[in-house]
Formats: sequence, C-alpha cells, structure tokens
Amino acid sequence: MKSYAYLLEGLTIQRVLVVSVVCVVAAAIVVRSVLNTYADLLLSALCVGYTSMVLFTIAGNIRQRRIPREVMQVAAIVAGSFLGTVMATILKNRDVTTMFTERLAGVSITMGLGFGFGCVVVAMYILREKAARDRENLMRAEADRQKLEKNVLEARLALLQAQVEPHFLFNTLANVQHLVETDPPGAARVLDSLIRYLRAALPQMRESVTNLGREIDMARAFLEINRVRMGSRMTYSIDVPDSLKERAFPPMMLISLVENAVKHGVDPCCEYGSITIRAAEAEGRLRVLVEDTGEGIKPKKGGGVGLANIRERLKALYGPSARLVIEEREPHGVVAFIEVPA
Amino acid sequence: MSRVTAVIADDEPLLRAQLRARLSRLWPELDVVHEMENGRDVEAVIEQHRPELFFLDIHMPGVNGLECARAICDRAHVVFVTAFDEYAVEAFEQGAVDYVVKPFDEDRLAITVDRLKARIGTQPPRLEDLVQRLTSQLAPRASEHLRWIKASVGSNVRLIPVEEVLFFQSDEKYTRVVTHEAESLIRKPIRELLDELDPAKFWQVHRATIVNVDHIASVRRGLKDQAEISLRDHAETLIVSRAFTHLFKQM
Repeated sequence: MKSYAYLLEGLTIQRVLVVSVVCVVAAAIVVRSVLNTYADLLLSALCVGYTSMVLFTIAGNIRQRRIPREVMQVAAIVAGSFLGTVMATILKNRDVTTMFTERLAGVSITMGLGFGFGCVVVAMYILREKAARDRENLMRAEADRQKLEKNVLEARLALLQAQVEPHFLFNTLANVQHLVETDPPGAARVLDSLIRYLRAALPQMRESVTNLGREIDMARAFLEINRVRMGSRMTYSIDVPDSLKERAFPPMMLISLVENAVKHGVDPCCEYGSITIRAAEAEGRLRVLVEDTGEGIKPKKGGGVGLANIRERLKALYGPSARLVIEEREPHGVVAFIEVPA
Repeated sequence: MSRVTAVIADDEPLLRAQLRARLSRLWPELDVVHEMENGRDVEAVIEQHRPELFFLDIHMPGVNGLECARAICDRAHVVFVTAFDEYAVEAFEQGAVDYVVKPFDEDRLAITVDRLKARIGTQPPRLEDLVQRLTSQLAPRASEHLRWIKASVGSNVRLIPVEEVLFFQSDEKYTRVVTHEAESLIRKPIRELLDELDPAKFWQVHRATIVNVDHIASVRRGLKDQAEISLRDHAETLIVSRAFTHLFKQM
C-alpha cells in the first residue's frame, strides 16, 4: 500500500479547499437557473469535484510515458464527472438505473457542469505548473552558468598553481654545474633551455593567452633539458607545420602531456625511449599529439590528476567541442592528444 | 693510506661524472670501481667488485636508491644522493647514513668525505629500519584500486581515467563504460570491476550496474521499491534495484 502512496502526492489541504470553494460557488451560480435546492446541487458538485480531484491527482502522478500527462488529466476529469454524478445519485438515495432514462437530462447537466468547471480548474493548474517549471528551468540554467563560471575560475587557479618541480630544477642545475667545468658551450645551451622553460612555466611569468608556437617552444626547451640529463636514454622529435604555430592554444596543456610522457613514460623505463610531438589540422579541428615509447600506463598507476585538470579547462574554454584522448601505443607507450576547434 | 673502493649509482650520466670528478679531487685514495644507471644489477656488482662504499641517487628508474640500499643491507656503507630534500633530510640526520644534496656544495661534500673516511673499515650499519621509514614516509604509495580503464575503440586501446566514468553496465557479453564524451565496451565483467574499483567512489546499485557516485545528480523513488538515479549532464537514468536502495536511504 505504502508503495502506491506517491500516486496521491500533491493532494494537499490547499487543493481540497480550492475544490470545495469552487463547488460552493458553482452550486450558488447554478441554483438560480434550475429547480433543484442549493443543498442538492452542492452535494452533486462536491461529489463531482472531489472525485475529479482525486482522479486528476492520480493521473498526474502515474509513471508512464506513452500518453501525455495533460491528456490523462483531462480524461480523469471526464471520468470524475461521470463517477461523481453516479456517486451523488447513490448518496441521494435515488435509483441509479433511471439516470440514463427519465433523469438523463438532469444528469447530463450535472456532468456537463462538472466537466466545464473541472476543465477551468485544470487549465489553471496546468498553467501554474508550467510557470513553476519555467521558473525551475530558469534556475537550472542560472545554476549551470554559475557552475561554468566556477569551472573557469578553478581552471585559472589550477593553472596558477602548477609548479615547476624543485626536483627537476635542482637536477638540471647540477647538470649545468658539471657542464660549466667540462663543456662550457654545452652548459650555456642547457641554461638557455632552462631560461626558456622557466619563462613559460613560472606562474608569475605566464601569459594568459598563448599560441601553439610558444607552447611548442616551451615543450622543446623541457625536452632538450631532459635529453641532456638522460643521456642516450631519450630522444625526441617535433613535427609541427609553421602554418599552425600562430594558432591560439590554451597554455600549459601541451607541457603537461610532455611532462607525463617523460615522467610516467620514458623515465621509469630503463631502456631507450623517444617522444614525438605532432600537430595537424583536419575537418576544422586542431589536433596536438604527444607520443612516447615508454612503459605505458598500468591500470593501477596514478597520474590522472594533471589530465583531469586539462579536461576541466578544455570544457570551461570550449564546452563539448574540445577533447583530450589518451590511447595505448603499440607495442608499448602512450599516445595523448588534445583536439580544439581550429 | 690504503685505497677505498666505491660505486656510484645515478640515472643521469653527467651527474655520475660530476660526482666522480669532485670525489677524485677531495679524496684521491677513493677508487670508483663501477657506475650504475639504477640499482638493478647491485647483486652482481657487489659480487664482482666487493665495494666498501655506495653513492646512491634516490630517484632512479627501475630499482631506486632506497630499494638498492635495502638489497645492500650491511654489506657496504651507503651515502644517499638527492636533488632536493624531498626525502626529508632530517631522517638521515639521525641515521647512520650520510647524504649529499645536488647540486653539490664542495664544502658540504668535504665534510661527508671526512665522516666516511672515519667510518671505512668499521662494520656498516643495517639499513632496513631507515629504508623502511623513508619508503613508507616518502615514496608515493601505489594505489590499490583501479585507476585506468582500457577500452577498445576501433583498432585503438583508449585509456579512460576511472574518475571520468559515469557508470558501468553489463550488456550480455560485455560491460558498457559510459563517460560524458563516449561510450565503449570492455570485456571485464561487473563483479571483477567491483573487486578492483575504489568502493568509496563506485557503488553497485543493480546486479548489472556500478555507478560513480561523484556523478550522481539525484535519486528518486520509483516503482516496486526501486529507485532511479539521474546523472549530472547525462540523459540516461539508472535503476537502483530493491537490494541496493538502502544505499540511498536518508541519513
């Protein structure tokens, strides 16, 4: 029984009162033009009103999708008018069988009036519900907009918080320290790369708008430092047409993918590995891809945090028209690419 | 003074060369008999060279410095080399082990060399406790739960972080993996996923369905003691069968 209680959801005292008042007023209006007493009319009106109200409520709550709710509700009013009239007949102790013969005219009038008033009330209800739904939709749209704004803010904050790893910085400086003694031109080259990398990677130096060329330069500086540090264990190549370098591209995304390729791909792998950056335009989309031949992703290995950050930022910037895809590379390694509207 | 044998382990060739050069200046009697890229071959190196001293970079791919020290145990003295005091330098201060920080400070390295000279010839301390403490305190713990789903998309294998999965649903032979962006099929059945996923984030709500609770927008009562889950920014709804509705009972 309890499980069907939802069918009567919305049958509030307020609704009962409204129906009662409508019945009282309707009977008062009709009593002028017919011979019946007011009490007699009121009883009929209340029977039709309450029956219709209950059926109307149930029709509104029934969980089915085939018939539109409004149609069900109007049908409920028709059924309610009929059943209410029958009920009034029984309560007045009259013969039900004569309803459709000698008393058909009176009965039709009761049903007709019940139906008419019912429809007016239902129309009011439906309009009010629609207004409430509109309000709710408006509020939801507003909430969505605020959520998007929040995402954009969070993305901006995450961008500011992205740090240069001290471990990376000190290890690089240790390399420079040695090269200064043994290979000064080599030391100068590594320092050049380090400066170029830091210029882009330090939050204070970071520009909010950037293009693909600048992001590629930063990635190249980072890869060059790592190539010196890792010796013969790593090589890299960058294959990006000059025509794409002026394209707008969100900051710090490419470098995240490249850092992952070094840190989670090539570095943990004891053998030799290579990293490739490629960019291409196709079907109105700009695709920037980072491929490594490292040890690949193990199902229980972490490292998705930077990626979640990229996804959030892409969503905030481009909505559903941008994406980040990560795929396994044969025979080993990972391919990650970002696609944005060109 | 007799010669002392040492091994240097660091994955960066220039840094091995640098440490070797500095040591040869500060400690001419020290004989670096071998260099390693990581700790993988430590047993063979001990076997072959019987070094008295190891310089171990902590961060190395494959077998790292801590694992290497554990393998060495008390067969040689150990000096840890680290690029940054991420490995809580104070942990070393109390220990019987010395450490140096990259980039090298010549004076600091000289102090270490003096201490080592005094120690050579004594029995090396056992390092298990220290290594244990460092490992548990500082090394990132491997996750016990599934973090990535591998799903075939065409001829490629796509890697999906579990955080992005809205729900898993068994579909006869396969399991559907649904994210905001795409839907894919994997062969791993629901019950295996249940064992491997983080139970705090992924709840079974039906014989055939596991939902990511982070993506639930609302839950409403449905027919026959069931409930219905709506997901954020996703049209499809999920049925919670009677056996699992207790998960959503009001607190």
